[in-house]
Amino acid sequence: MIEVNGLTKRYGDVLAVHDLTFTVRPGHVTGFLGPNGAGKSTTLRMILGLHEPTSGSATVDGQPYRRRSAGLRHVGALLDADDVHGGRSAAAHLSALARSNGLPRRRVDEVLREVGLAGVARRRVGGFSLGMRQRLGIATALLGDPPVLLFDEPVNGLDPEGVRWVRGLFQRLAAEGRTVLVSSHLMSEMENTADRLVVIGRGELIADESVAEFAARGARTRVTVRTPDTAELASVLTLAGASVCPEGDDGLTVTGLSAARIGALAHERRIVLHELAPRTASLEEAFMELTADSADYRADYRADHQADYRAEARR
Amino acid sequence: MIALTATPHARLRDLLAAEWIKLWSLRSTAWLLGVGTLVMIGLAAQKSIDTYNSWPAFPPREKAMHNPMTDALSGLTAAFLVMGAGSVGALTIAGEYASGLIRTTFAAVPARHRVVAAKVCVVAGVMLATGTVIAVATFGVSQAILSGRDAGVSIGDPGVLRALTANALLAPVSALAGMGIGALLRHTAATIVTVIAVLVVLPTAFKPTVHQWANELYALFPFYVWRNCLSLTHPRVDPALPTVTGSWIVFALWPLAGALLTLIVLRRRDV
Repeated sequence: MIEVNGLTKRYGDVLAVHDLTFTVRPGHVTGFLGPNGAGKSTTLRMILGLHEPTSGSATVDGQPYRRRSAGLRHVGALLDADDVHGGRSAAAHLSALARSNGLPRRRVDEVLREVGLAGVARRRVGGFSLGMRQRLGIATALLGDPPVLLFDEPVNGLDPEGVRWVRGLFQRLAAEGRTVLVSSHLMSEMENTADRLVVIGRGELIADESVAEFAARGARTRVTVRTPDTAELASVLTLAGASVCPEGDDGLTVTGLSAARIGALAHERRIVLHELAPRTASLEEAFMELTADSADYRADYRADHQADYRAEARR
Repeated sequence: MIALTATPHARLRDLLAAEWIKLWSLRSTAWLLGVGTLVMIGLAAQKSIDTYNSWPAFPPREKAMHNPMTDALSGLTAAFLVMGAGSVGALTIAGEYASGLIRTTFAAVPARHRVVAAKVCVVAGVMLATGTVIAVATFGVSQAILSGRDAGVSIGDPGVLRALTANALLAPVSALAGMGIGALLRHTAATIVTVIAVLVVLPTAFKPTVHQWANELYALFPFYVWRNCLSLTHPRVDPALPTVTGSWIVFALWPLAGALLTLIVLRRRDV
């Protein structure tokens, strides 16, 4: 179990993480989602005691992680596949880590076999591909057979077979009763893996719920309607409490009312409908919608800015 | 879950073994220490053969002034030794920062002071062993050559054992001082440049002056006190020159400061 309580981290002027509170429970794969720069890695580093929080706390199984002397037995983590010395072999890298935690040497061979690197155990890590280094990082996380596992963007650089393998691994680890937290900036990665989600944007918590609950938010009845009389229908629907957005010449996108209710209202007012289509948003859309305001590096942000600038120049 | 039956927490012995594995699993360690030691012995042989050949032509005054210890480990050889050992010490920290390994290390052993303690012990131990091999081997080789001219000394002669001890300590003292600099600067290139500047270049430029404050400042640098006191069988007693006691204190304080600096910096800083 990971408990994060009012966690805040400030680097100079930048507030990387702000008053974050959530709990990650055992027995589930929890997706940790947010756009680039949302503060995911910073949060994971604070959980691991690598960065000192400005305020708030993070505990693993009730204790601050910095108190542990043999960390691998409590938390296994893959933060960055490049956090290895390229001059050492995979076996030497893992041997040193295993020994530092008083783990038996056989664990090194076991985890290397588990991640499929047994054949290259004696090769220097510097010559590994990104996918191989990800596998080595996963081996490092598994080394101490820990009850809690953290993975920061573990799918980067893995081939499709590797992606499938890693998803199966996460689900197996959770099924064994472990706490598994997997970060990603892509919702699609989480769709088939996670059953719970913690979503953050600009260092603040956006959602902490099950995947089903999260998906339901995005599915908040969005309906496309086509009618020759858009102005009339729009005013009727707005009066009924919906928010309406024009789409093309004869279309409206309606949120806040069900398709049945829209149909009934149109019938009452004798407005002709050409199309009435409820749209279920995907998890991806739900994620985009929720994090739209908090994405730090969005492409259109710059475009908007330039448009403003041009408008100013014309004046 | 697989039951791991070993002890629930890591012992310091395990951490020492882990640092030992880390040091020797880098090929550069064995190469640097092996080749470095051979070069030192080669330089001792070359310098001693030089003395052997010119000995008959030396005037009696020069023969009387001759210090056979400099044939074993000359100032230049010692400078190489300090640079090499200082860099090895510095890289054990700066190398972990440069590669990012430091995060993996501290994620595995969150109690950072234990990692630092193990690192200091392993580096100090390996460097003391290497330094002792170099001190004894260079002395042995130069004595074997110089004895042909009856120009050698015995280990029992005054000051010889002290000079040998200082030669052996030069490596661990430099390595731990380098480690402190590595922890402070983290960047590999900046660290190496600073190590060489502070441990060798600067103290080489120092000469005794009429300003006593300057002499006292100079006497705080290990390479300076080695050159002007500890490496000499009969160091001159002069207020402008470092004393034997003062020199040993400098030899003790630098590695201590290096280890403490490493501990404080690594414990406090985000990685």
